[in-house]
Amino acid sequence: MKPPLVIGLGNPLMGDEGIGWHVAECLSGDPRLPAGVEVVCGGTDLLRHAGRMEQRRRVIVVDALRDDGGEPGSVWAWDEPSGAGAAVCQPSYSQLPGLDNRQDNAHCLSAIQSIQLLRLTVRVPIKLLGISIRSANVQNDLSPELAARLPAILDRVLIELE
Amino acid sequence: MSKIVIDHLARVEGHGGITVEIEGDTVANVHFDVFEGSRLLEPLVCGKRYDEVAPVLSRICSICSVAHTLTSLKATENAFAVRVSPQTELLRELLFRGESIESHALHLFLLAVPDYLNYPSAIALSADKPAVVLLGLRLKKLGNLIQETIGGRAIHPVNAVPGGFGKAPAIEQLIELRSALMQGVADSDAAMDVMTSLPPAEFCHCDTVFAALRTPSLDSYYAGDEVMAVSDGSRAIVHANDYKSLTNECAVPHSHAKHSTFREKPFMVGSLARLTVNPRRLTGKLAVAKKRLKLQLPADNPMDNNKAQALELINDVERALAIIEQLLRAGVKDEPPVPVQPRAATGTAITEAPRGLLIHSYTYDAEGRITAADVITPTALNAASMEMHFRKTVEQSAERDDATLSRKLQMVARAYDPCISCSVHVLRRR
Repeated sequence: MKPPLVIGLGNPLMGDEGIGWHVAECLSGDPRLPAGVEVVCGGTDLLRHAGRMEQRRRVIVVDALRDDGGEPGSVWAWDEPSGAGAAVCQPSYSQLPGLDNRQDNAHCLSAIQSIQLLRLTVRVPIKLLGISIRSANVQNDLSPELAARLPAILDRVLIELE
Repeated sequence: MSKIVIDHLARVEGHGGITVEIEGDTVANVHFDVFEGSRLLEPLVCGKRYDEVAPVLSRICSICSVAHTLTSLKATENAFAVRVSPQTELLRELLFRGESIESHALHLFLLAVPDYLNYPSAIALSADKPAVVLLGLRLKKLGNLIQETIGGRAIHPVNAVPGGFGKAPAIEQLIELRSALMQGVADSDAAMDVMTSLPPAEFCHCDTVFAALRTPSLDSYYAGDEVMAVSDGSRAIVHANDYKSLTNECAVPHSHAKHSTFREKPFMVGSLARLTVNPRRLTGKLAVAKKRLKLQLPADNPMDNNKAQALELINDVERALAIIEQLLRAGVKDEPPVPVQPRAATGTAITEAPRGLLIHSYTYDAEGRITAADVITPTALNAASMEMHFRKTVEQSAERDDATLSRKLQMVARAYDPCISCSVHVLRRR
């Protein structure tokens, strides 16, 4: 069994949408990161990492969450609906509760859809951490509001790895 | 006046989607709005050094990060008159094939096939036909493996640099890729079985202009500097340095993407265009497969782009295998990148990304810093052609109800495999 894997999704050129990428960048250089944990900046296509996810003890996916009601930087966690352990070996097609899993992109699958499809091939518990953002605009950096929350977000991700 | 609005093709609210306004039996207006970040990203590279440009612009697209990286490098090398080694050219072509395998597998099996079989998504399809979805996932994984091995990581290749590669792949890695590609041959054959079993999709027929890279070897996504436009038997050649005479971009009020027309006609880029411009690629196994798919070239049905992608999938796997055999025979040298001598100059590159012609053009100052950048993506080039085919689809449809028209329009949109907003990828609450 391989050690845990953290995948930070997002595009760093799209402002706050790249928060998952920024989390992965910071986390990979964080001395508090438990030994052996692998961290990757995952771009925007989770399916691309199917091979890397195989045989893992667990996988944590960090992505931006368009959440008009949430404070920017709030972290929301979803476990697979079937729960961890043996049950996830069986494909489950129910939606992750509270998240939109529409096929709403003509070009690639959402993280939610990818997680659902990956159950066919990757028999690993996947935890999804959604970080509330307000905007996704072309911009090199995070908004000051979200950047200020980054240390707290890192703390929250590290708790998952304890 | 009635209106059909499909607003969830794109993920960014307020952008993307199709609007068709119908007055009686006449289509009054068709609008396809593209949210393409690339134009907005161009200012981000101004002032950057030549070796900082490709890593930034590769992020325009997560699926086509190889195409953006290699086109960027080619434009920079053209500006500084750098000639890369034959080994670098082969490795870059191999990277392109990996990306094409991944992209076509994703598009055909996880996006297009569910449409044909009337499933709302690949997840729903996987409940009834898991073998089809697993086949797509296997081929996608194969494409990813090639990109990771040659490019140095799963996404946004870091190993491809100006003048060559940071590190050549080890012989053992190429042997591993060869084994995976041999399984890929069987999978691409199985993919053809799936594609030939799909119901026909005859939604619209009309004369179409096709444009694609004309390559010296007749079969390259990377090499070559000329575009051929084919229309109704006539052919025209445009050199990369003169790309603006091909694109003739003009802003339209309803879309972030400028529209392109050649000789005042929209044109289509992508797999179907590539096979139309380079038909001599279709020999042997590909000729047989073309016959099985009942694909006639030049085609007049945009849905045939799906058939063309299936043919390219077979070809990409075979071509990748041939490149690896060639590299193994010749022996892979650990050669350093060709040194770059910056100068004040402009360089333009045209390549074939999975969904069609991709253009990068940069102007550098004497220190090798960008003073102007122009990136034109396939989806932007296709935007006017898509609107033309949307209009024809509605005009030629015997069924007039919104649900049927909406389904046909979405399938035509999907056949183009558009990259509407893939540079953005947020989760969203219900």
